[in-house]
Amino acid sequence: TLPSWETEGMHQRGMAKNPKQAFQVHRSSLSAWQIEERTAGLKTADLKSAQKHERGKQQSASVQAGNSTQDHLEQALTYFERIKDYIPLKKNEVLQKHLTTVESIALQRGLSPEGLDVLLNVALSGHLVNTRILKCLIPASVIAESSVVSAVSRLCVGKCSSSTQLLFLRWLIAMFDFIDHKEKLHALYGFFFCSLQDEKLCPYVCHLLYLLTRRESVSIGFSLLFLFFQGMQPHLQALLSLYKLFCPELVSITLPAKMKTYFKNSESLWKAAINTIRRRNQGTSPTSQQLILGTGHPQSRKRKWNTQLILPACSTDTKNPTRSKEINHADILSHSESFPVEQLHTFSQLLQNIHRLEFPSQMGSVLRNSLLLHYINCVKDESIYLRLYYWMGQTLQEECTWYKLDNQQYEEEFKDFLDIVYKTECFLQKGFSSCEEFLYKSLPLWDGFCCRSQILRLVSWIPLSSFSAFRHSSTMYIIHCFLSLLQCSVLESLKELLQNWLNWHVIQLDMESDPKISPLNTTLSGLVNSVAELIHFVGWIATVALRLENNATFLLYFILDFYETVCDVYLKYNLPLLVMPPPGVFYSALLSMDAVSLNQLCYIMYRYRTNLVAAKENELIKKTILQFKFSSQTYQEYNQYIMAMVGCLWTSSAFQKDIHPQGIRLDPEVLKKTKVQEVRNSFNIVHHPALMGYAILFLQQAWPEDKTLNFNLIKGRRWNWYLEYLYVQGLQGLKLFIESSINRVSQVSQTKSGNAQV
Amino acid sequence: MSLVKPFDKLPTLNAATILLVGTDESQQQQLAEAILKEKKTFKINIHVATSLPLPAERDHIRPRIDLIAFMINMQSKHSLRNVEASLSHMDANFFLGKVCFLITGVGRMNHCSVEMNAVRKLGNLYSSPVLFCELDSEGIRAATAQRLLRMLQICAGHMPGVSALFFSSLMKSSIDE
Repeated sequence: TLPSWETEGMHQRGMAKNPKQAFQVHRSSLSAWQIEERTAGLKTADLKSAQKHERGKQQSASVQAGNSTQDHLEQALTYFERIKDYIPLKKNEVLQKHLTTVESIALQRGLSPEGLDVLLNVALSGHLVNTRILKCLIPASVIAESSVVSAVSRLCVGKCSSSTQLLFLRWLIAMFDFIDHKEKLHALYGFFFCSLQDEKLCPYVCHLLYLLTRRESVSIGFSLLFLFFQGMQPHLQALLSLYKLFCPELVSITLPAKMKTYFKNSESLWKAAINTIRRRNQGTSPTSQQLILGTGHPQSRKRKWNTQLILPACSTDTKNPTRSKEINHADILSHSESFPVEQLHTFSQLLQNIHRLEFPSQMGSVLRNSLLLHYINCVKDESIYLRLYYWMGQTLQEECTWYKLDNQQYEEEFKDFLDIVYKTECFLQKGFSSCEEFLYKSLPLWDGFCCRSQILRLVSWIPLSSFSAFRHSSTMYIIHCFLSLLQCSVLESLKELLQNWLNWHVIQLDMESDPKISPLNTTLSGLVNSVAELIHFVGWIATVALRLENNATFLLYFILDFYETVCDVYLKYNLPLLVMPPPGVFYSALLSMDAVSLNQLCYIMYRYRTNLVAAKENELIKKTILQFKFSSQTYQEYNQYIMAMVGCLWTSSAFQKDIHPQGIRLDPEVLKKTKVQEVRNSFNIVHHPALMGYAILFLQQAWPEDKTLNFNLIKGRRWNWYLEYLYVQGLQGLKLFIESSINRVSQVSQTKSGNAQV
Repeated sequence: MSLVKPFDKLPTLNAATILLVGTDESQQQQLAEAILKEKKTFKINIHVATSLPLPAERDHIRPRIDLIAFMINMQSKHSLRNVEASLSHMDANFFLGKVCFLITGVGRMNHCSVEMNAVRKLGNLYSSPVLFCELDSEGIRAATAQRLLRMLQICAGHMPGVSALFFSSLMKSSIDE
């Protein structure tokens, strides 16, 4: 049999309305399972009971300590339960005492569903003219729907003051995710809607309705009624926009495209206490945590970020015009009920039930649920993004660590949250507009330190259309990246931004070929302009950064990495755009001391060549006037660069043949004045500072007995051997460049003409 | 009473001087300590003052000042007024990139008595960067120190090819474009 203390304790506590009843139910079923196991294998069971006894001893101590406070709470609850008439608070010591007990316990541990029920009834009965009770109604696990419903009915009786009503609504909004079911609450939708008339309550009622609204809540009556509220306050707008999304044909008002308004914050009163209890629950044991969260995401921390997934038992809407054919078809098949999202665990379940899924009432919970993210990708419903929009905007602003200093201790959580948002964006291949607004708003105030990498990553999902807006508001961002050695990460995130845009473009091209889908809302020229703007912007940043960092190799690597994407835009992403790197980047790579950068540059120039040649060929073939053509300036710029490169790597004429205005051409007289011997030999494939190390190794291997390091030996046939040697060392970019851009037959004269053809 | 000038003295070899102006002395102290903790390749002098002008009698022993950082606390109007009053005691040449405003206390929006616009206007008016930082946290203090050091390096001319004027015009051009 089980150790007696446990069963006894359980009976006692079970009878006395323990706040942790839910926890015990779980425990008792656990012990039942253990009994079965015991009969199955005696040995292991003995061992287990011994262990259990040990643990029992430890636990019973803490149980006893908790018992006295428990008793107090129970006394208080019975006291409150018995209140049947108005009781003044002043000079009532008993009431004061019980109130303090409840407050202290509630703020520390939270209250059981039963306790909450009793206290809610008292708070709204009008017997107690005090809001203290409402302020301490913190659930330990869940709130029973029935308590909320009865509380709402008490609200209707109208015995409590308007401030109590207001506070109750705020409480309801703050605790919305803790309510175990919401079906009956949905039935009260009409009641809440009528309360909109109350001016004071209106903002909060709006928020509550916003949380409650489902597609079928929006009926004609409501929308018409809604039109009476002509004042376009932000909260009404928010609710109306949701209605409009669900039933566009009912709401004729045009709403501003971008709303920066949010609901008033209702949570502040209870937030601290909820956080404490959440932390406490996490600390105890994984089982209790699961009970609290109810969904089985043990790794999650924030309540809102993976709240209970509530299952509305209604059919999928057939009116929605955005849904595709198959789904409409499926609706006919299963008109009955929707599949509860909390039971969705496997991908095959998703596939089987995809026609009868409804999103949870708290959209934020989808962020952690990869199956629902698949579903979002599949249904392409804009209302999803609207529902996420308010919640995410508000959460980002509320939790932002540099907006609110009090949040600093939660920086890790905020980082986690930003990480999740970023991952979701990657998964959906789409940036959230609330996230983008958050960046605009918060970057100017950013200290350049908090959540650095997360913020930089979020930048990579800024939509194409708003990049110039972003540039205008990103001055601080630029200052930060220059002042705090962040250039590499900034370049990395801008590269990702570019790739995201290009990928998006390719997908759009694919979809365009499908005639069923409506044409692009962004024109090709708009896209080309935005991409060009981004590339020029990065070129500008890169030039300055190289100068500030004294041409650091590491930085150069990131810059050239960016240009590896840029040089292939035409062939790889089918976008008629080619932007050459600015001279500040080109020359620091060409004259770098490092073979890696030089090799990278060679590869990039080779790709530029391939793209330009392909473009030229396409122009010749199609004959028709193409909308976009590379300007002759691009070709000219390329040719200037290639002359400089060939002079620098091959013909030893870097100072003579370079014709770029910002190049390294020098007058022969000036060169003479430098009194450097053999100026001509300073730059070629042997003498280039980046490659000289290879030349020395080559000489040492070819002529081990010669200690003089005579570079002039590398000539003619040996020049070719040396080239082979370089290729074997892994300089593949150099190989591609030399093989494509340098005509080896008669080197100097034909290289030039060969390039001019491009 | 003397006007602080950026170019009236010769620079000291391999050294740079920063002047922190603000009403909160403990914060200045903390920031100064953070700056000294950072790794650097040159000698750094940190001067601290509650307001300008600086006393004239010590002028002859004071090194050339390369960068002035004005510290404004969003919770205190006094700190803003103090900075505004101090700004008139400076040579105009300083505003060619050798001034920055450090704003603290943005994190307590609800307790702000200084308007955000006022601070932005100040930055625009004197064409100097406005940096936001919460000096209470050690990490941010270190990050701010890094940024100041970097500006100081530029302002003192330790970075070849980059002058204070170049840097400030760079920032401006990024706004104007």
